[in-house]
Amino acid sequence: MNRPAALAVLLLLAVSAGCTDTGPERTTLMVIPAGSLLYPLEDIEAAFESQHPDIDVRIEGHGSIQAIRQVTDLRREVDVVAVADASLIPDMMYRPMPEGDGNYTDWYIAFAENEVVIAYTGKSIGADEITQDNWYRILSRPDVRVGFSNPMLDACGYRALMVTALAEEYCEEPGLFEAIIGGSFDPPLQVDRTDGVAEITLPELMRPAGDKVAIRDGSIYLLSLLDAGGIDYAFEYRSVAEDHGLLWIDLPPEINLGFAEHADDYQKVHVTLGFRRFQSIGSERIGLPIVYAMTIPADAPHPDEARMFVDFVLECFQDGWPKSGTATVADKQIFR
Amino acid sequence: MIPVRRIILVLIGALILASGCLDTTPADDYQDWNLTLAGDEEMVLTHPEIRALPAAEGYGYSVSTVGIKHGPNRYRGVPLADLVLAAGGAGEDDLVYVSAEDGYLWVFGMDQVRGEGFFTFDENLKEVAPPPLRVILAYEQDGSPLPFNEGGPLRLVIITESPDVITEGSSWVKWVDRVEVQRR
Repeated sequence: MNRPAALAVLLLLAVSAGCTDTGPERTTLMVIPAGSLLYPLEDIEAAFESQHPDIDVRIEGHGSIQAIRQVTDLRREVDVVAVADASLIPDMMYRPMPEGDGNYTDWYIAFAENEVVIAYTGKSIGADEITQDNWYRILSRPDVRVGFSNPMLDACGYRALMVTALAEEYCEEPGLFEAIIGGSFDPPLQVDRTDGVAEITLPELMRPAGDKVAIRDGSIYLLSLLDAGGIDYAFEYRSVAEDHGLLWIDLPPEINLGFAEHADDYQKVHVTLGFRRFQSIGSERIGLPIVYAMTIPADAPHPDEARMFVDFVLECFQDGWPKSGTATVADKQIFR
Repeated sequence: MIPVRRIILVLIGALILASGCLDTTPADDYQDWNLTLAGDEEMVLTHPEIRALPAAEGYGYSVSTVGIKHGPNRYRGVPLADLVLAAGGAGEDDLVYVSAEDGYLWVFGMDQVRGEGFFTFDENLKEVAPPPLRVILAYEQDGSPLPFNEGGPLRLVIITESPDVITEGSSWVKWVDRVEVQRR
């Protein structure tokens, strides 16, 4: 859904609600989303609150794993969790709560998809020649600087590695991974291909040598670097590139992690992180279509209001996101 | 041959004496909190023992992966480099694992233990050249014991002399209970 259309829908929802009750007591609804959802949730929060003036939505963004840990490891009172990798919810939350009152949750609802693109600006080296056909050759040039977020911290970071490894095979360009990313590390990061599976094992410290590759903690720092000319291209979610008015190159569906029908292709790439940052989740990541999902923790302090918010978000995302949509998520299917 | 543990204890004692400023501020809530130092051998420091070590002070100001700023605050704590030394020291290629009670782990290179190799930002989250930085395990924030919700009793904090320097919060490990030198 594009931004003006989204705003119109939100306004309509707010007006149709006939919001009149302005009682003094407001329920605070704690919502913990993945960072890439913060931008669309700004408008959604405002529209929901205008429809429900008795509810104060508090949004606190984190990386997806950290978002879930607020509920599981840190035992904070959270009403809604929304993550950029649906598989994390069953992995981390279909587990008993220490208090013995059942699992942290037993369900999630997929509500959006995304895909990895190559974001850039008009100032980027090669900006006047990069296309969907030659992007990997441009990014391979020694003088072209490439950025991605830290795979230890951000799903988009390990997805950047997956996309590049998939591209090496899809584009039939041996050495592509090393030229774009791997060669900037000492020793070089390599893709080990065994029995049709590409395995990338990361070092404990993700610190590239030289200027060819830049790694930052999160997407916003890459955007800042792009703007300042510190890098030429960044691996980003399409929604992020779109939300921030960047130029971007769409990647083929076979490698961009955005199409459910290519799930079998994506699963052929694995990334093993350099260390186990959290005891609550392992260090291997397997390529999957990028699916966003929400749940309400079993011990959410305001489950009724949380359900209203989840329904509202689903309605806002029902026409697809990013705007031109990719594959279709099973319509509002609840997974258990 | 002198046992390594005795050398370490003597070293810690020397550090305390050299500091000339024994901090006896009580932090009653954290009396039972211990820090394990693991190097060639493993040793446990109590919270009072940690507070008795030479301290460093400075401003700490962090930002999360999605841009939420936290601070600035004034922190006081023990330099990580001193703890690594107390654990038997480390070579340039060794790594330091800093982990916490809640199962969080972050890994530091030796240059980072010395305060180098970090990215720093201004108030607008624009990257700026890093000024001198120090890495400490902080136990005090703005003159009071570090609250539990802020990562107390011990939190890894990157400090500077200036209150307007922001560092990436991913390495600010809360509730630190173990520092381990990994030989490479």
